[in-house]
Amino acid sequence: MIKLTGITKSFGRNQVLQGIDLQVEKGEVVVILGPSGSGKTTLLRCINYLERPNAGRIAIGDFEVDCERAGKKDIHALRGKSAMVFQHYNLFKHKTVLENVMEGLVIVQRMPKETARRRSVEVLEKVGLGEKLDAYPSQLSGGQQQRVGIARALALGPEVILFDEPTSALDPELVGEVLAVIRRIAKEGITMIVVTHEMGFARDVANHVVFMDGGAIVEEGAPKDIFNKPQEERTKQFLKRIMPEPAYSI
Amino acid sequence: MKLDPSFIWEAFVKLLPVIPTTLLITVVSVACGFVIGTAVAFVRIYKVPVLHPIASAYVTFIRGTPMLTHLLIIYFGLPMIIDAVSAQLGLGFRSASIPMIDFAFLAFSITAGGYMSEVVRSGLLTVNRGQIEAAYSVGMTTPQAIRRIVFPQAMAASIPNLANSFIGMLHASTLAFTVSVVEIFAKAQIVASTNWKFFEAYLAAAVIFWGLTVLIERVAVILEKRMNLYNRGGVA
Repeated sequence: MIKLTGITKSFGRNQVLQGIDLQVEKGEVVVILGPSGSGKTTLLRCINYLERPNAGRIAIGDFEVDCERAGKKDIHALRGKSAMVFQHYNLFKHKTVLENVMEGLVIVQRMPKETARRRSVEVLEKVGLGEKLDAYPSQLSGGQQQRVGIARALALGPEVILFDEPTSALDPELVGEVLAVIRRIAKEGITMIVVTHEMGFARDVANHVVFMDGGAIVEEGAPKDIFNKPQEERTKQFLKRIMPEPAYSI
Repeated sequence: MKLDPSFIWEAFVKLLPVIPTTLLITVVSVACGFVIGTAVAFVRIYKVPVLHPIASAYVTFIRGTPMLTHLLIIYFGLPMIIDAVSAQLGLGFRSASIPMIDFAFLAFSITAGGYMSEVVRSGLLTVNRGQIEAAYSVGMTTPQAIRRIVFPQAMAASIPNLANSFIGMLHASTLAFTVSVVEIFAKAQIVASTNWKFFEAYLAAAVIFWGLTVLIERVAVILEKRMNLYNRGGVA
């Protein structure tokens, strides 16, 4: 469904992605793990073309782009296939919750306003914000804002939703409500690629875990394999640091 | 010297009819200046090839020279060009038929454009990069993202500075008197020239300018409140 081939990306002399190959099947929930600076966010942003890869091919559904030759039209078409949920929500500040979700439907997909409105309300109710339609983002908690962000992505009906550390900017007590929403939509069979540090979430929800380090994929596979019997030394080290053995036992 | 309070009032009443002239010069130059300034700001932010250095040169020249020189350069230079071109093409058009106030409109628009480009640019820079990324992520093109997401937020953030520019241009419009446009300041001189009570006439002019300025300030406050409604929660 999604196929990345040989994606490379450098910022100046710093090569952040060293030729990534990744395949994601329809309906799969892929979680990308890795230490900071490993290139996981950059990889995600490349799929949405918020970063322009230096080389490689990106295919989503039946649409394929050669990154070295992609023009404005290709980029635009590729972006139409995916939607992004940002770490810092990035809701349109000057628009209400409802307008945030409707914006893409009306302006990009040219949906009639009434249809877009109905669809948006439906999606907002699904993320538990049916009561907040006319609120501005600044009046919402972080968790609520992120749920609007998810609704905005979901409403577009993309082939894949990309989550860039969706809970990293949240207060610990708000993380749960956002993860619950992501879990729920994962069950509906929507393809998702999630960059996260929430190991519990990765274990429960992912069908496919990718561990990245130094701009390359070190290891990937089913969550139970990666978490229980990682093959690579680098993966073992990382998991140990993230999920340390308890220092004491009862 | 003795102050003649009754003449202040008399001058005040005589100045009222030319307020529209002052306002017209101000509004035209601010409106055109805003269009020029917005174009220049985008050219500079997006570093448009060829136009970018021209835009930078324009801004430094305009801000580096007094507004009076812009007016006089246009006033003396433009007719020469127009008449030369007109003669070349064999048109009967003569620059003398151009109303004086048009020179003020043109010169002040150019001045305002230079200053306002920086107002617009600073407004655009206040908008977080994440906003345009979000617009791209829902599939918008760059023009759509700018028109629907970035520009409205930039404008809301720019209102205090735009009001400042507006007030500045209102006061600077007095320079039009040098090219024989009868606006408030020129009228004050005319009113006083019959009896030499310049002080009273200028006081009356000052009161009118102050009144107009207060009005602009009020409008700006209302606009600012309305356009920044979305910031009222103050969380993000």
